[in-house]
Amino acid sequence: MLDTLLPILLFSALALAAIGAVRRVRLWRQGRPSSVPVIKGLMQVPRRYLVDLHHVVERDKYISHTHVATAGGFVLAALLAIVVHGLGLDSAILAWVLLAATTSMFIGSLLVAKRRSPPPSRLSKGPWMRLPKSLMAFSIGMFVVTLPTAGILPEGVFQSGVGWFAALVLAAVIVWGLGEMFFGMTWGGPMKHAFAGALHLAFHRRPERFSDATGGEHRSTGLKALKLDDESAKLGVEKPADFTWNQLLGFDACVQCGRCEAMCPAFAAGQPLNPKKLIQDMVVGMAGGSDAHYAGSPYPGKPVGEHKGDPHGPIVAREGTTLVDAETLWSCTTCRACVEECPMMIEHVDAIVDMRRFLTLEHGNTPNKGAEVLDNLIATDNPGGFDPDSRLHWAADLNLPLMSDKKEAEVLLWLGDGVFDMRNQRTLRAFISVLRAAQVDFAVLGTEERDSGDVARRLGDEATFQSLARRNIQTLSRYRFSRIVTCDPHSFHVLKNEYGELGTPQTPADYHVQHHSTYINELVVAGRLTFKAWKGGSVTYHDPCYLGRYNGEYEAPRDVLRALGIEVKEMARSGYRSRCCGGGGGAPITDIPGKQRIPDMRMEDVRETGADLVAVGCPQCTAMLEGVVEPRAAIKDIAELVADALIIETAAEKSPQRQEAPATPRPALEVTP
Amino acid sequence: MAFEALFKPIQIGSQTIRNRVVSTAHAEVYATDGGMTTERYVKYYEEKAKGGCGLCICGGSSIVSIDSPQGWWSSVNLSTDRIIPHFQNLADAVHKHGGKIMIQITHMGRRSRWDGHDWSTLVSPSGIREPVHRSTCKTIEVEEIHRIIYDFTQAARRAKEGGLDGVELSAVHQHLIDQFWSPRVNKRTDEWGGSFENRMRFGMEVLKAVRAEVGDDFVVGMRITGDEFHPDGLTHEDMKQIAAYYDATGMVDYFGVVGSGCDTHNTLANVIPNMSFPPEPFLHLASGIKEVVNVPVIHAQNIKDPNQAQRILEGGYVDLVGMTRAHIADPHLIAKIKMGQIDQIKQCVGANYCIDRQYQGLDVLCIQNAATSREYMGLPHIIEKSEGPKRKVVVVGGGPAGMEAARVCAERGHEVTLFEANEQIGGQITIASKAPQRDQIAGITRWYQLELNRLEVDQRLGTRADEATIQDLRPDVVILATGGQPFLTQVPEWGYDADTDKSLVVSTWDILEGRVAPGKNVLIFDTICEFSGVSAADYLADKGSRVEIVTDDIKPGAAVGGTTFPTYYRSLYEKEVIMTSDLALHKVYREGDSLVAVLENEYTGALEERVVDQVVVENGVRPDEALYYSLKERSRNKGQTDIEALYAIKPQPCLTDGGEGFALFRLGDCTAPRNTHAAIYDALRLCKDF
Ligand SMILES: Cc1cc2nc3c(=O)[nH]c(=O)nc-3n(C[C@H](O)[C@H](O)[C@H](O)COP(=O)(O)O)c2cc1C
Ligand code: SF4
Ligand code: SF4
Ligand code: SF4
Repeated sequence: MLDTLLPILLFSALALAAIGAVRRVRLWRQGRPSSVPVIKGLMQVPRRYLVDLHHVVERDKYISHTHVATAGGFVLAALLAIVVHGLGLDSAILAWVLLAATTSMFIGSLLVAKRRSPPPSRLSKGPWMRLPKSLMAFSIGMFVVTLPTAGILPEGVFQSGVGWFAALVLAAVIVWGLGEMFFGMTWGGPMKHAFAGALHLAFHRRPERFSDATGGEHRSTGLKALKLDDESAKLGVEKPADFTWNQLLGFDACVQCGRCEAMCPAFAAGQPLNPKKLIQDMVVGMAGGSDAHYAGSPYPGKPVGEHKGDPHGPIVAREGTTLVDAETLWSCTTCRACVEECPMMIEHVDAIVDMRRFLTLEHGNTPNKGAEVLDNLIATDNPGGFDPDSRLHWAADLNLPLMSDKKEAEVLLWLGDGVFDMRNQRTLRAFISVLRAAQVDFAVLGTEERDSGDVARRLGDEATFQSLARRNIQTLSRYRFSRIVTCDPHSFHVLKNEYGELGTPQTPADYHVQHHSTYINELVVAGRLTFKAWKGGSVTYHDPCYLGRYNGEYEAPRDVLRALGIEVKEMARSGYRSRCCGGGGGAPITDIPGKQRIPDMRMEDVRETGADLVAVGCPQCTAMLEGVVEPRAAIKDIAELVADALIIETAAEKSPQRQEAPATPRPALEVTP
Repeated sequence: MAFEALFKPIQIGSQTIRNRVVSTAHAEVYATDGGMTTERYVKYYEEKAKGGCGLCICGGSSIVSIDSPQGWWSSVNLSTDRIIPHFQNLADAVHKHGGKIMIQITHMGRRSRWDGHDWSTLVSPSGIREPVHRSTCKTIEVEEIHRIIYDFTQAARRAKEGGLDGVELSAVHQHLIDQFWSPRVNKRTDEWGGSFENRMRFGMEVLKAVRAEVGDDFVVGMRITGDEFHPDGLTHEDMKQIAAYYDATGMVDYFGVVGSGCDTHNTLANVIPNMSFPPEPFLHLASGIKEVVNVPVIHAQNIKDPNQAQRILEGGYVDLVGMTRAHIADPHLIAKIKMGQIDQIKQCVGANYCIDRQYQGLDVLCIQNAATSREYMGLPHIIEKSEGPKRKVVVVGGGPAGMEAARVCAERGHEVTLFEANEQIGGQITIASKAPQRDQIAGITRWYQLELNRLEVDQRLGTRADEATIQDLRPDVVILATGGQPFLTQVPEWGYDADTDKSLVVSTWDILEGRVAPGKNVLIFDTICEFSGVSAADYLADKGSRVEIVTDDIKPGAAVGGTTFPTYYRSLYEKEVIMTSDLALHKVYREGDSLVAVLENEYTGALEERVVDQVVVENGVRPDEALYYSLKERSRNKGQTDIEALYAIKPQPCLTDGGEGFALFRLGDCTAPRNTHAAIYDALRLCKDF
């Protein structure tokens, strides 16, 4: 009986799965077009899965082993089951392999079950709680039905008396297993992740982020430009169907593992954002319905069941509620901690900014100080609304070389809008004294420089971003320099990763851009700086999101600190897991309240190390962390630490009293605030 | 950005000034070596530049000619090429930190002293005596006029060759140029006096000659008065006319404007307004000048606070603010604004200790900041944390010495406990601040209070420390700054008794602290002649008492400085306080409900009597030594401060010599009564190396 039943079951499950798959693909295809190389993409799946995805999964060894056992076992078992039981190929060897595969899968499912008893808060419950049992059902069922084929049980054991009854039970178990594994895969069960996940890998909208055989850096973090010339096109994403189809596909791949949730600073601060829930809401919107079935942690302060959406309805309501509240979107600091952690390679930040673009460009609805900042950027090219001619006021005593005078320089020093902030002016002064100590040939744009556009872009104001960027590109095109160096990771990121797309053949915008820590490190390695011994207390280092996760620069700042004689006491969350200071993405401007403040949590991380000082490399981080009430560790930019330690060789000075004095090293006195 | 107006650079002639804050010209009295700028001088200005000051105009009233004497008050001497290399040091030190530096040059004419050094004959347009310096002078001759014009050009050349950024011609405070301007002292009938053009001539010739000498790439400014405040002197309208007249030449790069003339004791007090004046009392005069000229205008006079400065600049009243005493009190003022440490700024309280010393020819010092002008000795404005052992320091007494000691020790990183018997810190400053118009002196305490809180000093207020409490804390260092008490027991005939009801006399502290109600008819006997006596008189008169203040010295308030006694006198005369000198308090006795004070003439011995209902005596302070002697024997250094180390600003040897027990030091009035500055200076130099 089983001999006949099994193929029927298998093939009907496969058929149903195929129907489900078509329906699922239809859901995705509601999205906007996005052209991808289909065959090439599909060919990349194994590598992307085994190398790139595994690289992320592997950070959690337990689940990585579990997944290899379960998924590897399942894929093999499913293929062999089709061959052995579906097509009836009576091969003892294959049967033995099938037994091994199901055993592996069974062991994996035990590990899954163990992880979920009880599940940590970041994991979703609901159908996901039944998954380990389904996995067991599939693996046990397949194992047992294969025993006769392998010759362990006599053929025909399931055909008489008790055997009949056992066969019935077994069939039921197999139906359950097949149902979850094949049917559920395309009809919206937990196994959907395998189907959508594989295709997401194939058709990912950022193919550049995956490795290739040549090795090297593979990172794709710059936001993609919005085409503003098409008057009829909607700007940004209003409805789920406004996402591109492969974005929708990406959302569908989410395994609800909650790794993003666990890392999200806004969630931890009790602001109404949970990246996992956000992705699930996109899935809800794509399929239509309410979020009542969501079984994970909600947005803090927002109970589930009150929001619903449909593919062609607005995600954010102008009034009342639909799928997501605007404040959820405005809580994000664009720190990319979620993206960094996501084993399914989902791009949360892209999605959030897409939706913000609509709110800002079409609704003109940027909360709190947002509108004012954007107005300032439009009127004055800087977010504070300062007189653009006052950009160099802070440096009146520094005689900075201007590009407009020099026309060319080795280093173009990009100052950033920190020029308007007294705290950051200290960092800039320090860095300038470092450049001078190393006798670097540098120049600044001065009043020709404009805001890089970072904040405008993250607040969704793509038009202002592009306008600023294009004018900066124009200005830069007038001068010759071999690199741009900046103390601001946000400017750094935008210049390095987001201007390129806006360049033209006449004014290409592919610059060699460096963060000051990278450049200082080069100067140190080249022996162009000498330092006094470090005498301060213990030091920890805070990785700025836009330097670390966005651009992969974790080592240079640490190397510089080491060169100063500082042994960094690392925070539990550092490097790619660094916790955001709360300052990115315009979050301090939109200022969505939570239970606590993100910088307070970050300074608590600092406090746990016992460090007296936290070294930073970003004006935004400096401002956020210094805003935390004392007592707390002191905050200094790397440039300040370097400048404080500099020893400058000076020639004998020209006064008669000093003429005989030999050249003596003296500390860099120029570093005045 | 906060303070945008303050941090907006400005062009003055050929120079860009990085912000709008100026340390205006003041005589420093540090140029000791025949008027050369010494190391002390250079470091003093370097500190301001390091602290972020935009422009320093140094060398108040620096002389261009040898018949404008400088020796008696150690001002800078530009009458010789010897100055040039000194200027180079000075310019380098300031430029290194991005600051600009110019110098005020002048011939003071009759406004000086002639009785020393070269024994010069002073010159003036019409030979009229100057009262403040009691200086007589000759009527200047035309040959001398031309010599001095030439001297101006050479002085300007020396400034330029020395690398300074400009010169300011002083035509203010009644120097030679404005002596020619003012009809009050210029009675000439030749081409140098009489008509407007004639009175202007000398200044104009100086300006033209100087400009011709230095060219266009060197700043030449002019400091003028906004109104002399004399009925026969230059009025505000006159000054507008004068400013416009000079401005029209296009040769002046900026104008500095000062409210008030300066050639009497009373007008002098306006020029450097003490704490009795409101903020920026003469801003309107500078504004008036700004209306008629086309170049930047600088104004100083009681601008102490960054917000005030920002408001003035934002309002466009003037282009730059002088914050001169503000920088004497805290040369890091600008840096602290930029660091967001406005609460840490030591704000000038207008005690005018600085200027009152200057008028005696003494080096300028700040009452509350002992590091000012002592940078060259290694006294720091910003105290570094110690790298040595962390010590347990007990400070007893929260007056100036104790507050400074506690602050410095805490900055060094030590664990500090401060005992103060009163409910608040401040000591005698608190008492002094009770007098009318003297409340701002409490600003000294306010700053210490903020600093001690910031530094987390354990402050035991309302707690009198004794031997046992101190021992319990197991201190490494004990600093006694317990001050003293009014010394009323010196003359038994005064009838002082610790029981106020029985005592025939009370102290000025009793009055100012409100412990004793004001009498109706009060006699104050003040043999000290500093602030307490006149303060008590002013306080009592203010409360409605009829007051006579008597001294056996030259005059009540004689030891109060030159810019401060006039404001006391204004107030005392207005309240009909009688001021009597040359009488000593011989004896007090009771007669019925009244008291009889017997006064003895210092010079004749004649006795006279006053029948009053209250006798207040100011006889200085008697140190409180009891606690010291109870601890002295137990201390490792027997309470001795190594004065050689102290004066050389070196660490006290007893701290490192080993030995048993705590080190014990005494500071301030509990040793011998001196003054606030002395107490703070000793505390700083003693504790800075702990
Ligand atoms: C110690 C001292 C000496 C001064 N000497 C001069 C001087 O020689 N020439 C001058 O023009 N002003 C002199 N001044 C006046 C100052 O330049 C300034 O106008 C005055 O102190 C008021 O400004 P402030 O309130 O910011 O201190 C002196 C002031 C002080 C405190
Ligand atoms: S980018 Fe950062 S703040 Fe935004 S959702 Fe992701 S983790 Fe949260
Ligand atoms: S978005 Fe990614 S990290 Fe977050 S729950 Fe889904 S799969 Fe996990
Ligand atoms: S002595 Fe007094 S007036 Fe002079 S600077 Fe110091 S606090 Fe100000």
